[in-house]
Amino acid sequence: MRRINFRPLVYALLVVYLTIMLLPFLWLLVSSLKTTPEMFSSPFSLPAVLRLSNFVEAWQTGVAKYLLNSLLVTVVSVVAILVVSGLAAYALARSQFPGRNGFYVLLITGYAIPIHTVLVPLYEMLRSAQALNSYIGLIGPYVAFGIPFSVLLLYSFFLDFPKELEEAARLDGCNELQLLARIVAPLSLPGLSSVAIFQGVFIWNEFLLALILISDDALKTLPFGLVSFQGQYAANWPLLLASVTMATLPILLLYVVLQRQFVNSLAGLGK
Amino acid sequence: MANMALEHIYKRYGKTTAVTDFNLNVEDGEFIVFVGPSGCGKSTTLRMIAGLEEISDGVLRIGDRVMNDVPPKDRDIAMVFQNYALYPHMNVYENMAFGLRLRKVPKDQIDQRVRGGAKILQIEHLLERKPKELSGGQRQRVALGRAIVREPKVFLMDEPLSNLDAKLRVEMRSQISKLHQNLKATTIYVTHDQIEAMTMGTRIVVMKDGFIQQVDTPLNLYDFPKNKFVAGFIGSPSMNFLTATCNNKTVSGNGFSVEAQGKLADSLSAYNGKQVWYGIRPEHLGLEGSTTIAGGANRLTGVIEVVEPLGAETDLMVNIGGQTVVAKVDGHAQVKVGDTVTLFCDQSRMHAFDMEKELAIGR
Repeated sequence: MRRINFRPLVYALLVVYLTIMLLPFLWLLVSSLKTTPEMFSSPFSLPAVLRLSNFVEAWQTGVAKYLLNSLLVTVVSVVAILVVSGLAAYALARSQFPGRNGFYVLLITGYAIPIHTVLVPLYEMLRSAQALNSYIGLIGPYVAFGIPFSVLLLYSFFLDFPKELEEAARLDGCNELQLLARIVAPLSLPGLSSVAIFQGVFIWNEFLLALILISDDALKTLPFGLVSFQGQYAANWPLLLASVTMATLPILLLYVVLQRQFVNSLAGLGK
Repeated sequence: MANMALEHIYKRYGKTTAVTDFNLNVEDGEFIVFVGPSGCGKSTTLRMIAGLEEISDGVLRIGDRVMNDVPPKDRDIAMVFQNYALYPHMNVYENMAFGLRLRKVPKDQIDQRVRGGAKILQIEHLLERKPKELSGGQRQRVALGRAIVREPKVFLMDEPLSNLDAKLRVEMRSQISKLHQNLKATTIYVTHDQIEAMTMGTRIVVMKDGFIQQVDTPLNLYDFPKNKFVAGFIGSPSMNFLTATCNNKTVSGNGFSVEAQGKLADSLSAYNGKQVWYGIRPEHLGLEGSTTIAGGANRLTGVIEVVEPLGAETDLMVNIGGQTVVAKVDGHAQVKVGDTVTLFCDQSRMHAFDMEKELAIGR
């Protein structure tokens, strides 16, 4: 019997999918290099002149400040999530202690709690702790919300980690911390990278908590800061789009760099 | 190097006891092999010595020091794992040097020891490679190298050759034996392969269901097994067992009658009229007319079911009154399936076992 070759069809579908995914980003990039009249008169054409000055102007009028805030909040939160979730997931995957399963379920249940339901108590807690309008007031909740999913992901990763390597390291003379730092962590890069990407993207794009917990302009993160741009530059869309492009680029680069580890780790999820 | 003592060691997992009352004294420089079928507790015992499993009960001493609560890193033990357990992110040199670096050995000494170990194992040209770039045999050599550069008190090896192909296994077997002769290190080696055990061990510990069955030298295990399990486990092909009735010095059954000699003949007098297991190794049976084994009044007559020519010798499976025995005969014996043959037994090498307790009857 003659077999039907589906490969061309699969490729065609992939091209369509890729186009749908990339077109908005391409449009964003192209439009950010235009003038306002050009953008409205011919929204889908290439720019007559590349107006890189949009980027310079956006950078000088606030993007730099918001970008640095986002960078600080994201990096500190992701590092904290990696340390706490990594240690918790490793302990859950390797140690036997009473109530271990219950503890795991409790931890994972946190993932099912929507942010919106805890906004008011969270706000009140931070207010009483005088942590509103501060980096720590934003980083703390980000870390707390990031831990459940990160533990879930790393737990499945550590379950598959070869125990013999840990045993060999112990016999070679490693204590528990040396074992984690010199053997487990370097060999867990796919899992740790996935957590970094997942949480990095979430925190980088997070808007709601930033809106509620931050009011000082000097502490605003990019998504929140860009909203204030909207009023400020209502008539200058290319400038706004240049800001959005700059906000998107770091996270896109992070994904490109860690893509392989990300896919590898997701392939092992759910064990 | 050190001697080691395991005194009344137990390992329990909940209600299951994996190792029961394990007692063993290992002399400095001995090569001890733990052998037995899967689940007999040999690897568990090894892991308790390494400190990778807790000892439920009993005392483990290395030298004069009680090691029960000493963490693995402080026991001065090196272990070679079945699947090598090389660190994938380090090259061969780093793998071998890792344990020394952790112990803060000076750099020049590390280099000297790693290169020295690599020379002994002929892996000098592989020092820059990562484990994934090595073959199974090379990985095994690196794992051995990682252990020897540490110069530990005791070497532990957990089925280190079982992932290798047959030819490489034989090669590595002799390499490990040579290594032991050179280093004179106290070594505990776990295997389920009785040939490995016989060829490598100075003493062998045969285990079953968590119990030690017998501890002895390879030849004593072969010649004087304490029970039917050891008799069947040591030797290849395994010893034949036939149910027989004891009549004075003679054990007989349907199709066979064999008269015991020496001490066994005396011991069998206590079993007169009772059923016993008659045990005889395939290599101690011979065809009628064979010059290698004297005949006398001892005969086992049956029909050949299978002929397995191996070149130097031929294995015959012969149905003797409903019980099958394997006989190792001359490689050019003129026999075929369906032939009725008479086998003679080397009476000085025959065994008998108590039918119920399966303990050896003195010979």
